[in-house]
Amino acid sequence: MRPAISVWNAAVFGPLLRSPSRTVLTICVIALGVALGFAVYLINRSAADEVSRAARSLFGLADFTVEASAVGIDENVYPLIARLPGIAAASPIVEVHAKLADQRRVLKVVGLDTFRSRQLQPSVANLAPTLERGAQAAVGANALFLSASAARDLQRNAGDTLDLQVGMRRERFVVAAVLPSIAFEDNAALVDIAIAQWKFDMLGMVTRINLRLAPGADASDVRKRLSAILPETARIVTPGQATDDALRLSRAYRSNLTALALVALFTGSFLVYSTQTLAILRRRRELALLHALGVTHREQMLHTIGGATLMGVLGASAGVFLGLVAARYALQFAGADLGAGYFRGLTPHLTAGVLELAVFLALGVLAAILGAIRPALETARIATATSLKSGDAPSEDARTHGAIALAFIAVGAMLLLLPPIDDLPLAGYGAIGLIVIATIIAVPLLLNRLLRPLPTLQNVPIDLALTHLRGSGRYATLSVAAIVTSFSLMVAMLIMVTSFRSSLDAWTEKILPADVYLRIGYIGQTAYLDEDRLDALTRLPGVARTVSARFAQAQLAPDTAPVTIVAREIDVEHIEDEIWLEHAATTPAGGAVPIWISEAASDRFRLHAGMEIELPLGSSRERASIRGIWRDYEHQNGALLIDRREYVRLTGDRAINGVSFWLDPGVDIDGVRSGIRNLLRDEVQYDLRTPRELRRMSLQVFDRTFAVTYVLELVAIVIGLFGISASISAQVLARRGEFGVLRHLGVTRGQVAKMLACEGFVLGVVGVIVGLASGALVSLILIYVVNRQSFHWSMDVFVPTPALAACSAILIAAASLIAVLSGRNAMGDDVVRAVKEDW
Amino acid sequence: MLNVEQVSKAFRERRVLQQVSLQLAAGEYVAIMGESGVGKSTLLNLIAGLEIPDAGRVLLEGRDLGSMDDAERTRVRRSRLGFVFQAFHLLPHLTIAKNIGLPLALNGIHGAPARERVAELLAAVGLATRADSYPRELSGGEMQRVAIARALVHRPALVLADEPTGNLDAEAAQHVLELLANQLHRDGAACILVTHSEIAAATTQRTLRLTARGIEVAEQ
Repeated sequence: MRPAISVWNAAVFGPLLRSPSRTVLTICVIALGVALGFAVYLINRSAADEVSRAARSLFGLADFTVEASAVGIDENVYPLIARLPGIAAASPIVEVHAKLADQRRVLKVVGLDTFRSRQLQPSVANLAPTLERGAQAAVGANALFLSASAARDLQRNAGDTLDLQVGMRRERFVVAAVLPSIAFEDNAALVDIAIAQWKFDMLGMVTRINLRLAPGADASDVRKRLSAILPETARIVTPGQATDDALRLSRAYRSNLTALALVALFTGSFLVYSTQTLAILRRRRELALLHALGVTHREQMLHTIGGATLMGVLGASAGVFLGLVAARYALQFAGADLGAGYFRGLTPHLTAGVLELAVFLALGVLAAILGAIRPALETARIATATSLKSGDAPSEDARTHGAIALAFIAVGAMLLLLPPIDDLPLAGYGAIGLIVIATIIAVPLLLNRLLRPLPTLQNVPIDLALTHLRGSGRYATLSVAAIVTSFSLMVAMLIMVTSFRSSLDAWTEKILPADVYLRIGYIGQTAYLDEDRLDALTRLPGVARTVSARFAQAQLAPDTAPVTIVAREIDVEHIEDEIWLEHAATTPAGGAVPIWISEAASDRFRLHAGMEIELPLGSSRERASIRGIWRDYEHQNGALLIDRREYVRLTGDRAINGVSFWLDPGVDIDGVRSGIRNLLRDEVQYDLRTPRELRRMSLQVFDRTFAVTYVLELVAIVIGLFGISASISAQVLARRGEFGVLRHLGVTRGQVAKMLACEGFVLGVVGVIVGLASGALVSLILIYVVNRQSFHWSMDVFVPTPALAACSAILIAAASLIAVLSGRNAMGDDVVRAVKEDW
Repeated sequence: MLNVEQVSKAFRERRVLQQVSLQLAAGEYVAIMGESGVGKSTLLNLIAGLEIPDAGRVLLEGRDLGSMDDAERTRVRRSRLGFVFQAFHLLPHLTIAKNIGLPLALNGIHGAPARERVAELLAAVGLATRADSYPRELSGGEMQRVAIARALVHRPALVLADEPTGNLDAEAAQHVLELLANQLHRDGAACILVTHSEIAAATTQRTLRLTARGIEVAEQ
């Protein structure tokens, strides 16, 4: 006989095994929370690793690189840099994003100086003999080497041809060889630098110069010397910065996903809390007896924690495994950005370290333990003598903490005033967390307020249900809190996503006033349209007028990602007809170049309407006056709008990437589109679309981006419904005596079902009312703080009333149904015998 | 009023009651005694229509409970039976008045008639001033008095009292038994009192002893 084990059996395993369905449910919820968090983390980390590997591949052994804008910098800077004291090796590079002539996609082409790059990229250098043999085998100047991943994506092998678009012409390359994946991990093609300059109209230019410091050289000294000779349009970037730049665009999106996934774990922790509390309420007399028999309160607390830990270990272990499987499938089917489009062409490999596994395992166990702490403390408060008395019933009153809830909301409101931390809206997340916690704290008070005025209906099942709910604040709170948490977050996301989608739709409609849009190439891409072709397009029959645009980049501050320049012919007097103007300057521009900046640029560089800035354009800086701030959902790093005539005057760049066509009244759009196609011929790839098509495409991208959030919301709601189910089934066990008496007194099974359905219905209604209020508040934080700080996008609030009504109705119906299903034991014959049971 | 004819009941392999018969006249008050596990509570459940006998019949006011479906038996129980339990079993969230009035509500009696009858019973059990109290605010004896009022409030034909004094001290038990006897007499209800207590049994009109062989008349 081993008494110690018997006590644990009785006090830890016994309660878990006595309610196996509830125990399994709790384990499942913890597993789900851990799985979601782990999967989202793994996907994010795999994407980051892949981006980092790609950046590292391009940097090789370089300590930093001089990076120019897409148009590049004069190659004569290179010898000046190479001769600087402290520089051991320098390797010039021409990097272009070449448009594939027959496809909509773009291929990164890296032009290397094979001799110089050997010092910085030994992995490529080791391939030199292969490269030379390949180049000789191919048609000399048109030789191109594909990285393994690019070859896989493009389905090309050595000897195949690849047509790239430069301006409006095609350049045919021959794949000389496919590089082993270890040699060059980026998704790119390698060519000789001279070929790159020649074929991509970059003669005399380089786009980056990789640099390695001499042993003992002071990096900051070298940077200073470099800054002195570099043109304004170049910046110095470390490999880490390059990775950060690549990841920054998706960072806020990934952080939001992680936060959403962690909500599931929080709800899991809350479910542990509610099931443990309910179990303690139900086992009150049993715990009192154990205490009377000699089990100390401390031991009882440890038993409660022990039970929760056991559930945490089982749930977290299953969750880690599920997370791995989910991440693998998500990467395979939705990509590294889960469909958001940030990492197109990236094919990350999924790996998970022991430490990562351990951290998420620990998170799951910790969530379970945290959920069990308060119930454990309650075991110590059970009054032993009173609880053992026959007829004793535990107090089910819930203490109301209105003041504490208000304090949480007040602190949350103060957090909203804080700026983003490291570009992330951490204070905003904190405020949301506090508001959700405040809502849970306020549930007893709100329940009281909502249930008290309900009248007696002279319908026994309904009256009994309402009386029970009024009198069992704790049960009701525990039942409703999980659903309040998940439903409020669902409401918040629904309002935010609808607001964003509707704002995007309205914005797209506003900024696409023309009848047809043509797009050829984009920033840094080799494809563009020349002015002669534009003239020909403008003269097409049926075309009333055209507006042309060029996309470029400008470095507004050193060591930051550049903003997009949208150079377009603008009617300055009626600018508000062309862009979604949020703020306009009230002071005159003077002699400065008028520009309009996007909200993202305004936020990132703390610029506002009326300010003047030094705008680096071409090789010089121009004084520019910010005439207004406009809403822009297209360029996440920020954009500035400038009249194309000014842009051409300042840069000499006459290339065109986009043309908007206004047609004569009554002209058939399809006819004009055919005319445009005939003029451009089919030798190059371009986008020719109506505003309607563009709107539909942008909404499709939006829906794909947010698809994963719908999945996460659904999981949160399912967990919330689990909470109602677990709570009601626990209550049914605790109320067996009550149901037994009711059956004795003549309450039919149908009336018991009606009573339970009514309880579920009321809990659902309360959950929906409180969730709607709390969710609406959280949605405003998401819209005005989290999104603004994450993406620098403002939006108008749109409340999706039909969707919210439908979700509310479904939730209430589900809560009623679940209450009946979870309480089916209350309708069986066993409850009749329960009147004879002590517990 | 009650005719239990040769009923037998087994749970799985365990035979609990074997051809037990019992007759009870209207307004009659009998005690059933017997050793633990002999089937006293099972007999009460059969009489209440909560269990169906494997053999034999239970006739309440001439109606065979075994021939009714569950809903019909429930309606009979609701209107014609009252219950008093050892552990009181008051509903914790209802006030004393509402606990007592619950059978009336189940029988569709609301408003003034219900209030008057509840007030009458509250006065009869000596708890007129505690109408708005909750069960947790009462002593064991008081709770059992409330349970007696609840059992009689709808004027049932038969009250089934299963060890009603089992959780009470001697003084409270005596008080409850006197109250039960008086109320039964006043309302004209019959009652079966299941008890281990000779003192409790002595308050009834006759005492029966349930054994493995069946029901025997005990010596008074």
